[in-house]
Amino acid sequence: MNKNLYNFIVNKEHHIYRRSVDWNLGKEYSEKGLSPMERMADRFERMMNEEKPVILPDEKIVFLRTVSNLPDCFSEQEWEELREKYYIHELGYISNFSPNYYDTISVGLLAKREEAGEYGKRAIDNILKLSDRYLEEAKKQGREDLVEILTQVPRHPARNFREALQFFRIIHFALWIEGNYHNTLGRFDKYIYPYLKADMEKGVYTRETALELLEDFFLSFNKDSDIYVGVQQGDNGQSMMLGGLDENGEYIFNLLTELCMEASCNNKLIDPKINLRVNKDTPKEIYIKATHLTKAGLGFPQYSNDDIVIPALEKLGYEHNDAVNYAVAACWEFIIPNVGADVDNIGAMSYPKAIDTVLHDGFMECETYEEFFAKVKAEINNECDRICAGIKNLWFVPSPFMNVLMGCNIAEGSKYNNFGIHGTGIATGADSLAVIKKYVFEEKTISKQKLLEAVDSNFEKHSELLPLLRYEAPKLGNNDDYVDSIATDLLDSFADCLKGRVNCRGGIYRAGTGSAMFYLWHADEIGASPDGRRAKEPFGTNYSVSLFAKVKGPVSVIASMTKQHFENAINGGPLTLEFHQSVFADEDGVGKVAALVKRYIELGGHQLQLNTVNTERLLDAQKHPENYRQLVVRIWGWSAYFVELDKEYQDHVIARQAYKV
Amino acid sequence: MNGIIFDIKEMAVHDGPGIRTTVFFKGCPLRCQWCHNPEGLSFKPQLMYKSKNCLGCDKCKQHCDHPECQPFKRCVHICPENCLSIAGRTVTAKDLAKEIIPSADVLGKDFGGFTFSGGEPLAQSEFLLELTDELKNFHLCMETSGYCDSEIFNKVIEKLDFVIMDIKLADNDLHKKYTGVGNEKILRNFEDLKQSGKPFVIRTPLISGITDTKDNLSKIQNIVGDSAWEKLPENNAAGAKYKMLRVE
Repeated sequence: MNKNLYNFIVNKEHHIYRRSVDWNLGKEYSEKGLSPMERMADRFERMMNEEKPVILPDEKIVFLRTVSNLPDCFSEQEWEELREKYYIHELGYISNFSPNYYDTISVGLLAKREEAGEYGKRAIDNILKLSDRYLEEAKKQGREDLVEILTQVPRHPARNFREALQFFRIIHFALWIEGNYHNTLGRFDKYIYPYLKADMEKGVYTRETALELLEDFFLSFNKDSDIYVGVQQGDNGQSMMLGGLDENGEYIFNLLTELCMEASCNNKLIDPKINLRVNKDTPKEIYIKATHLTKAGLGFPQYSNDDIVIPALEKLGYEHNDAVNYAVAACWEFIIPNVGADVDNIGAMSYPKAIDTVLHDGFMECETYEEFFAKVKAEINNECDRICAGIKNLWFVPSPFMNVLMGCNIAEGSKYNNFGIHGTGIATGADSLAVIKKYVFEEKTISKQKLLEAVDSNFEKHSELLPLLRYEAPKLGNNDDYVDSIATDLLDSFADCLKGRVNCRGGIYRAGTGSAMFYLWHADEIGASPDGRRAKEPFGTNYSVSLFAKVKGPVSVIASMTKQHFENAINGGPLTLEFHQSVFADEDGVGKVAALVKRYIELGGHQLQLNTVNTERLLDAQKHPENYRQLVVRIWGWSAYFVELDKEYQDHVIARQAYKV
Repeated sequence: MNGIIFDIKEMAVHDGPGIRTTVFFKGCPLRCQWCHNPEGLSFKPQLMYKSKNCLGCDKCKQHCDHPECQPFKRCVHICPENCLSIAGRTVTAKDLAKEIIPSADVLGKDFGGFTFSGGEPLAQSEFLLELTDELKNFHLCMETSGYCDSEIFNKVIEKLDFVIMDIKLADNDLHKKYTGVGNEKILRNFEDLKQSGKPFVIRTPLISGITDTKDNLSKIQNIVGDSAWEKLPENNAAGAKYKMLRVE
């Protein structure tokens, strides 16, 4: 990569080109009484016109955000009214979809303009206008290479690797300015490799020069990302899906797949986020290459198992050719690029809360564990009722350019309109149920009353129970069928409770194993729990073991966490494994981690994120953030610069278990 | 036959070929000044105390009925912060095998085998031999100081597939000074190891100023000859565990 450009971006020096606009568009548009579509079109036009073409020295992939804010299209009052009238998901704008970059790259925007409606044409024209201004700037700077590229793209089809990358950048740039967010990147290696292949056959690139260009392309995802919306810095949905089966059942793993992992490793930046689809036949060499990326400590790649995901999607009604092309949304939800309008993060169900509810209403009357579990399942069902009943009249702000890329009025839905609901705190839930089953109902060594008093008093009463429940009771993650089967029952119950429900768009509901950020919020909804978790302690993220559980090691963890029936609950949500940095110190260690990941997939695990950590470094980084600006950690589905996180997220990362081997 | 162990580690990365499960035997006849598993020295259960999270609530000092707590006059089950634990538990070979075999099942063909480490596995040779019988279908490795009687050494290595043996100091007097025992038995057992035909690697921990001297390393090179030999860099994490074994 170009070191100067890299440092320029990493040191945020390009921010000098930014300014903000003080337009009150919400007020203006509401006074003019403009339709949502008209507002989006107008805002896009104005924002694109306001952009100043900036070409940084030696920059190969251009387009840089120079306006740092995006005024909302609606006023506060209008949003209030909209939220009264409709179900508004998150910010109300289109998010978490994977639009069809690749088809556009191959035909050009002029061709797309032919088939587009009035608003689509307008959006395309505005993109071409800015692109032409970049072309002028390139001429002014004597950048012949860019002149040639921008004369061709984005009007016309990309003819080569660099044009394809530049075209991609322009599309992605435009999507964010339009106000769509978490615009995920889709199956990049599948569609872009042909361009690279042709160029390499012509001798235009060597492996090294192709890698250099790719590094610059990857760098471009980090230029504007601090402007993008998200829960924390890094939560921006720039997720790339590599590998996986194609429509003919062939496993895709080409030179570009390899180069993407290397570029990510060399850049050591948090974007783009690398995901890799694998299956039980994926050769060990691929896992080893991927583990070299894991070693870099970025939390990449996140693995998804085709053997589990594809059949599960088909079981839910996705057509084979769509299921086979799945990608991930911002974090890990399985979505279908181009034709999927699934809203996969529309709600979240807390297992510990369901248990807590029954603990306080129904527990005392139960004579057996089975009775108790039945009540918990009923409560999960109640919670699903509440979540689903609340989602009526889903409405999104329409998105003209997104419509061009997805071939329909995406705000109203597309071929797939399913909703996904996360399931948080499964370990806390399973461990709590194990305690109740073992000590209350089987061994009868703790009375119901005593347990309830202990939990409600945050273990101040009957304090001798805390270490027993917290450290000595059976825990999920130790390859102990006693607890593992309870986790299976919980996931099955959740899936059962969503089965047969039809959502307001005619789609279904998908149960998931993720938590997103709910692992903090849901944990605050209840007090202490029977597994010895104290009040205010968070749950683990996604599909992981309890933060404080004493587990034997990563082998036991993967054994426990692959027993469940993911084919029923395929919204997404990975197991997280973390290893101490020292594990990767030599090839032998790398090979063994790779073997473990392969084994996880063979055992039927559905999704895995792993990372290297060094707790000592993290603690030091909290004290001296200025020394750790580039330290990256994996959060719940994306990676972040540790020092930019809020403290509660930092603390959670530090509290996670790291396997030292 | 009972044995006493102090840890079982899944996914041991540097203890032999493949992903292995390592059993740490408690008790060792040596007293190497740099030992990085101090809880492996004594053959008896020991109290381990993590002072960092201690609240000073003194609940552990209150009387309890747990037999395992009595020798320490502290209850190890009551600490709300899990500061106390007992290093060392007694287990039969049969029960231990039952406990560790599942990790092999999980890994299937990726399972490398079991490694016996510690402490010194040879110091509980009868238990070790029973255990190797229980685990005879697996690849077995031992990490050892090699310090034991010849007869025992040969009996044990016959059951193993791979041996990792330390030669720390070539000079007998220096060996006694720094490890508490001479190296005669070790060097003799090394000869038998070579004759046995069993695959092995000799390890020398590089301890600054003690084992890493030019003199020592060249002498060990002469002893080892063409055989496989690894020099291990010093382990800095040893210090913390020593603190944990001292209880106020």
